Amino acid sequence: MATTIPTSAFIATPHRCSTGRSSAIWVQKAQFSASSSSLGVSLSLKRPSLRLVSVRCEANGAGMPVIPAEERWMYEESEINGPDIWNKTWYPKAADHVNTEKTWYIVDASDKILGRMASTIANYIRGKNLATYTPSVDMGAYVIVINAEKVAVSGQKRSQKLYRRHSGRPGGMKIETFDQLQKRIPERIVEHAVRGMLPKGRLGRTLFTHLKVYKGSEHPHQAQKPIPLPIRDKRIQFVKK
Amino acid sequence: MNKDKIFKLAKGFRGRAKNCIRIARERVEKALQYSYRDRRNKKRDMRSLWIERINAGTRLHGVNYGNFMHGLMKENIQLNRKVLSELAMHEPYSFKALVNVSRTTFPGNKAVPKKEGLSSIL
Repeated sequence: MATTIPTSAFIATPHRCSTGRSSAIWVQKAQFSASSSSLGVSLSLKRPSLRLVSVRCEANGAGMPVIPAEERWMYEESEINGPDIWNKTWYPKAADHVNTEKTWYIVDASDKILGRMASTIANYIRGKNLATYTPSVDMGAYVIVINAEKVAVSGQKRSQKLYRRHSGRPGGMKIETFDQLQKRIPERIVEHAVRGMLPKGRLGRTLFTHLKVYKGSEHPHQAQKPIPLPIRDKRIQFVKK
Repeated sequence: MNKDKIFKLAKGFRGRAKNCIRIARERVEKALQYSYRDRRNKKRDMRSLWIERINAGTRLHGVNYGNFMHGLMKENIQLNRKVLSELAMHEPYSFKALVNVSRTTFPGNKAVPKKEGLSSIL
């Protein structure tokens, strides 16, 4: 079958400074394997017009010095050609997860099913929606939840779901139902749900601090310009029967 | 192994495990066992990391990992998961082209909407 690969596919736009110049050639190879297999014809023609002419020493803003051939043996391969992005799995540097440059999302919790909303929130906080996901590094975004007291649960959970905590002393277990806790501290319901879905450990605890839950519809983070959280779950809206 | 070799391998260990031979010997033996096991585990962990990254990358384009790989296998595209994950991170347009190739081959199991009543017969 003839699949038309859009020409924009040949433009390798490195959106990270560490992309080496070898990316241009690899794009071509990847496209060759895709196109030749789908067309059933091996294209052995060179297509120089599509190869990007990149001035190597000026890639990345002249970060790579030109080393003459006689001195190549003195340097490591990564110093001559730049980092090898195709054989070493990428690991984020400190500049790739600066907290001040992370996205902020906002969710309105009114009439949303608690667990389904918490699951999407936890995914975004952990960074699992990004192709640059790394489990050991905090690559996720910040999430603001407003109208936390209006969060919905299905079935009889409103009166039957129990929230337990223990003070540590014998006989010190305290039990509350969903609606009692919602009257007392509504933010804690959403926090409890999301915390259970984040990893437990040092990293999980810092991820949890990226969740901001508020009772009303006001939040103090206007300066971060939060964008609405894209929710793909179709059953998240609570339908009153 | 003699003591010097043990202490050399015990650098950075916690507490007495780096200083006292009896404890250091145990911890070093364990550390060597872990490193043997983890040289094999690292290959598994890396592959699962690539798969997670590819999954995230394809879901940005509305396709999940399983359907994406199925489409690639049908098209006989032999790119491995390491390269696919690097493409997803560094070459977004090329990756989008791959996702489109996979989607044309295998559109995925779209749930057939149930038609009610008369329209189910028509």
